[in-house]
This record gives sequence, C-alpha cells and structure tokens, in this order.
Amino acid sequence: MSLTVIIAVFAALVTAYFVLWNVCQITMGVVGAWFVWRYQRRRNIRSRALVTRLAAPPLVSVVVPAHNESLTIVESIRALLALDYEAREIVVVNDGSSDDTLLVLQQTFRLVPAPLAFDQPLKTAAVRGHYRSMTEPDLVVIDKVSAGCKADASNAGINAASGTLVLIIDADTMLEPDALSRGVLPFLEDPTTVAAGGYVAIANGSRIEGNRVIDAGMPRSWLARFQIVEYMRSFLLFRLACASQNAVTIVSGAFGLFRRDAVIGVGGFSDNAIGEDMDLTLRLQRHFRAQRQPARIAFVPVPVCWTQAPEDLPSLRGQRCRWRRGLLQTLWRYRRVVANPRYGAVGMVVMPLTTLFEGVGPLIEVAGYFVTTIAALIGILNWSHYRILLGISVLFGAATTLLAVLLSDLTARRYLRGRDLALLCAAAVLENVGYRQLNSWWGCVGTFQALTGKGGWGPMKRREF
Amino acid sequence: MNETVPNIDRLALWALWIGMALAASMALVVIAGRLGQFAHERFLRRLTGRYGPIIERALRADADALDALVRSPSRHRLDIARLLIFPLVHDRSPDRIGATRDIIRAMSLVPLADRWLRSRWWWKRVPAVQTFGLLRFADRAPQLVAALDDSNADVRSAALDALADLHDPTTLTAIIVRMHDTSLHRGRRAAALAAFGAQCEGFLVELARVDPAHRLNYAKALTICGTERSRHMLCEWTADDREEVRAAAFEALARVGLDNRAAALAIAALESRDVHERAMAAAALHGWTGAGDGATRLARHLGDAWPVAVRAAQALQSMGAPGRAALQPYAAGTDQAGVLARQMLWEVEAWV
Repeated sequence: MSLTVIIAVFAALVTAYFVLWNVCQITMGVVGAWFVWRYQRRRNIRSRALVTRLAAPPLVSVVVPAHNESLTIVESIRALLALDYEAREIVVVNDGSSDDTLLVLQQTFRLVPAPLAFDQPLKTAAVRGHYRSMTEPDLVVIDKVSAGCKADASNAGINAASGTLVLIIDADTMLEPDALSRGVLPFLEDPTTVAAGGYVAIANGSRIEGNRVIDAGMPRSWLARFQIVEYMRSFLLFRLACASQNAVTIVSGAFGLFRRDAVIGVGGFSDNAIGEDMDLTLRLQRHFRAQRQPARIAFVPVPVCWTQAPEDLPSLRGQRCRWRRGLLQTLWRYRRVVANPRYGAVGMVVMPLTTLFEGVGPLIEVAGYFVTTIAALIGILNWSHYRILLGISVLFGAATTLLAVLLSDLTARRYLRGRDLALLCAAAVLENVGYRQLNSWWGCVGTFQALTGKGGWGPMKRREF
Repeated sequence: MNETVPNIDRLALWALWIGMALAASMALVVIAGRLGQFAHERFLRRLTGRYGPIIERALRADADALDALVRSPSRHRLDIARLLIFPLVHDRSPDRIGATRDIIRAMSLVPLADRWLRSRWWWKRVPAVQTFGLLRFADRAPQLVAALDDSNADVRSAALDALADLHDPTTLTAIIVRMHDTSLHRGRRAAALAAFGAQCEGFLVELARVDPAHRLNYAKALTICGTERSRHMLCEWTADDREEVRAAAFEALARVGLDNRAAALAIAALESRDVHERAMAAAALHGWTGAGDGATRLARHLGDAWPVAVRAAQALQSMGAPGRAALQPYAAGTDQAGVLARQMLWEVEAWV
C-alpha cells in the first residue's frame, strides 16, 4: 500500500511537470510565431538594405578559433572573405593545433610573420606569432598556445579585433551570405544592443559548395535528422520566446555577434566555463541589469549559419554530456539570478524555467520512465495504462516539435522537397521514441560527471565537406 | 481510491486523444502551409515568367507592354507591383524610378497605396510608405513627413527610409529636426543624412548656432555630411566646455579635412587630458602634410592609451614620407610604440 502511495505521489509530480512542460512549449510556440510574423514584416527587403545605405557601416571582426581544423579551415575562410558585408576583417586564432592548420593557412593565403600591435584587455595563453596575408589584407592569423578551451582562443581574437563588433564563430560554421548584414541590423537600430544571436541550422545532408549551403536536404542518418528537429525546437520555441521578452540567456557559440567593448567590460569569455557561450550571455544580462543600464540581446530568427552535427553515438554522447555539464555549471554560477526580480524576465521567468526543464528535467524524465516501468513490471500499473502514458508523451512531444517545424517553415523554408518534409515530420514524431529518452539518459550521465568532476571534451569526428 | 482510478483512466484517454489531435493538426498545418507556399511560389514563378519580359519592355516605354500591364487582372496587380518596385531598393537610377512610377500610376495602384497609407494596420502602412519613397512620389512628401510621427515605430523607421529614398530637399528640415529623436533608429537617421550628403550641412550649421545644447549631435551629423564649409564652426567647437563635444568636433574635422588653423588645434589637442579627445585629434590629422610638427607630435603618442596610439599610428602611416620618418626611430622598440611603428611600416611596404 505504501509503495502504491509513493508511486501515486511521484506519478502526480511527473504529470504536473509534464503538463507544465507542454503548456510552456505551446505558449512559447505561439509567442515565437508572433515574433516571426512581426520579424518578417519588419525586415522586408527595403529595411534590410539599411546596411548598404550607410556611409560607414560598423567594422565587424570575425573571430575564428581553430584547433586542428586543417580539413575545413581554408574553405571556411574563403567563404568568410566572400560575405556580402564589406566592412569586416577575419581574425583566425590557431589555438595550438597539432595538425597542419597553420601550414595550410600559410600556403593558401601566403601568410607571412608580421608585426601586429593590439590592445590586450583580456588575459590569454601566450601568443606565439602574428601573420598577415599577402593576398588578403583583411585576414589576420594569430598563433597561440592552447589553453585547452575555445574561450581562451576567442578572447585572443577579441583582443586582436579592431572592429566595434566581434562575431565569434566555430571554425566549421558555414555562414549564410547575408548573415552579417542581418546580424548587424539590431545594432544599427538600437544603440543599447550588446549582442545578437541567430538560428543555427544543421548542414548534414545538404549540398555544400565553397563552404556555403546551396541546397538544404535531410541527411541519411536518423541521428542527424533527430538533431535537425531538435535544433528547430530549441531555437524556434525557447529562444524566440526569450528574445521576444529581451531575455535571451544563450547566444550560440556557432554564431555570436557582440559589441566588443561590452564583452571586454564583463571580462570576455570565461576560460573555466564549459558552456562559455551561455556563461558570457548570462554575464552580460546580469551586468547590465544589475547596473540598471538598458541592454538588448537580439535574436535573428532565420538561419544565419550552418553547422555539422555528430552522426555517431560516441560523438553525440560526448557532446551532450559536455553541454549538460556546461549547463549545470552555468546554472550553479548564476543561481542568484534565479527568481530574482532585479534581473527582470531573465530572473523571474527564463532562469527558473531553464532550471526546471533543462536543469532538473532530464532527471525527472528518466525517473518517470524508470518508475512507471517498475510499476508496470510489479503490477501496480497495468500495461495498457503504461502504453497510454507513453503514447501521451510521444504525441505531445511530436506536436511541439511539429510546431517548431512550422515555425522553421515560416522563417525560411529550407527543406524544399516533399521527401524532406516527410522526413522532417517523421523525425519530429520518431525522435520521441528512443532519441529523446537517450538524451535524457545522457543528461543524467552528464549530471553524474558534473557532480564527480569527471568527463572531458569527448570525441568529435570532423568531416571535410 | 477505486473511484479515482476510472477517472484517471478517462483523463489519460482524453489526454491521449488531445495529444493525437494536436500532433495530427500540427502535421496538417505544416503540410497545408507547405502546399500553400508551393502554390503561391508557383503562381509567382508563372507571373514572373509572364510579366517579367512585359515589365522590361514597359520600362523601355513600350506602349503595348504598358497597355498589357494596365489590362492585367486585378488579382495580379500587387505582385506585378512588387516585381516593379523591389529592384528599386538597389537600383536607384532616376530613369528606372521615373519609368516605374509612370507604370504604377498607369496601373491605378497609387490609390491603393494611399489607402494602405491610411490603414489602421502598421504592416500595411509600412510598405505604402516605403513604396512612395522608392518611387520618389514628391507630391506625397507631406504624408511621409507626417508618418515620422506615426504611433508605430516601424512606420516611423520606414518613413525615414522613404524620405532618404525620396531625396526631396523640402523634407530636409523635417529629417534634421528629428535628429535627436531617439525613438527613430540611430542607423536610419545616419542613413538619411548620408542620402542627402552635403545638402544637410547648411541646415545643420544654422540649427547648431541656435541650439548649442545639442552640439554633440550636430558634430556627429557633420561626420557624415560635413564639408569644408563647416570647418570654421567645428574649430570653434574644439574649445567647447564638454569633452565629448570637443572629441566629436575633431572626429568631424577628420571627415571635413584640415586647414592650418584646424591642424594646429588638432596638434594642440593631442595633449588633452581626455583620451577620446586625443584619439579624435590624432584621427583628424590623418593624411595631414601641411604646416606644424604633426608627425613628430603624433609619434610621441605611439605609447599612449590604445585608442590614441592606434589612431596616431594610422595617421602617421597616411602622411607618407614624413610619417614614415617619424615612425622609424620607434620601430626598434619592443614596447607598444615599437610594435605599432613596425606594423605601420610593414603594411606600407607590403601593400602600398
């Protein structure tokens, strides 16, 4: 009897969590749809042309931290040099690569050692040398000792940047041709804008030429397909809703445009943060809100860049466990922001929801699956109820993911073929059977690693496009 | 407990059905949305294929083509208008603008744009305002100026863009008096001033004389559109009590160009206590090869605070032989001044 009561109470808690999660997802979907509708009307072709009408658009320094990226670095830089935004410089930071990244750059862009003076407000590991290209005056390469994290390389790039805005990307990020002009617009419109993020899409399965996605398509791997719809849900439900309330708490590391002085003002990227992108975004939010200074972190709801998703389980597991550790570390660091009215919507809405759904959520989900299965096995719950509960979970999960697919279609329809649409819808349903549970399990593993101080960067297989 | 279980059963079944209905309706909406978009794109492709060549001919004043556009079905009119107007965002040649305006008038689309301009919905007022600007309907200038005070921020921004596109000198005052209006996008205010260029200068100078409180804004505006006509006034502003005004005046002088008096002021300001003022004074000396010991004085600031040092180094690089001569003695150093000097000299050798 007492076991039945315990299970009933637990079931009630899980159900309450489940209802709250779905209500929030659907509310965020509605808010996101409103945001997208408004964005599409505001950002018409004339309004986007603002950048081309300015006598002196702001200089953007594109910082590319590169660690063992010899396979993709040349194509990446060529694509960056071909961006439609002319007021930009490219700062590549070779972060102690053990492969021939620097050699490839030297040979391709005729790099020569050159004196390069720059302000160094952010502390970084030692810089070994500076290189300038004899063919591309806008290209600067910094060769530094690795500190074992992207944050340190990004800080070295920010030090060397001469632009008022710095764009931090990953070396394998493929930018859309209009990514910079779209990203710069919020800064031109509102002087209180300190950062702008964008929708990062997955490039696996797409046709790529010259480091540009020419034709988006669905990959063969179901693992990558699940990640595509997962990214849609993450960017187009949660982040859009946050952006509509100026409460963005993460500007993705794959595409983060920042006002340089604002980043320097808060001390740059933290080199001991696992999730350095979320850490910096939250630090900006906390800093400006604590100072009662108006600051906006904008979000561009159309795909601004594309990235590779891991297609094998070990890589994905490593990535998810790392993200999990980063999330928990960041939530712990900024625990005083949670439910603190001083930090507005960030403190009162976004951080509590993030803590509940992303911080504790995977543990509740795994415990929920575990307890219901045990209850069914020992006869407290009959199997038909068990199936109904699983069915509800799958169907509501599918509904919210399909809502994200709909929003993705509204922002910029990329997967044009009927087959791709069918695969997207199928992935939206099927990711709830297996993949989502696996993710929750990795969330528990990541939590364990965070608590025991274990876990490294994990393997990540890079592929040449 | 026994009564609760059947209730939970029913609730669970209801939840299952709701979940199924939600998932199915979402999937249907996605598919219907796709089909709708697909049909619309197909319609647009056909429309472009059919009217594209006609539009090209009509733009070359072909009477038959114009007649074909005028007789086009009303359901095609808006999309034809888009085909005509969108290229004007990047192609601002007066001939094309005039020809497009004549076609739009002949197609009786102006009354529709007027109706949209008076619409209660901002998303209709925005394209109407932009259309009148892109097509340079000078007779709609009063409406566009009035739209600068619209209750919706997006309409106000669109009006500023439209006035920049319209390029009508009679609207210049309206733009300039709103220069301090922070509810208008900063970048759009700058773009509007850039569109008029030196035409703004006279108004700015006049207004600045009677409104010293906003001198900072006027100085910043003159960095966009100032010419040597405002140099005298900017030189006076370099003695303003406010550091930020003095810095902005030097920034504007960097665009306007220096004469002997302005150069002397900039050289003297290199010793200012304010970093920003020193930096802007160094920037103002960019390319100066006239009187004064500018190069020598600039070189002394290579070890100054970073914003000053980098501008001093760039100014020296731009001065040619005297600048290089001033950089040379520092190039052997290992400090900031030394690296900056070596970088500037290296760049001259590598690229110039």
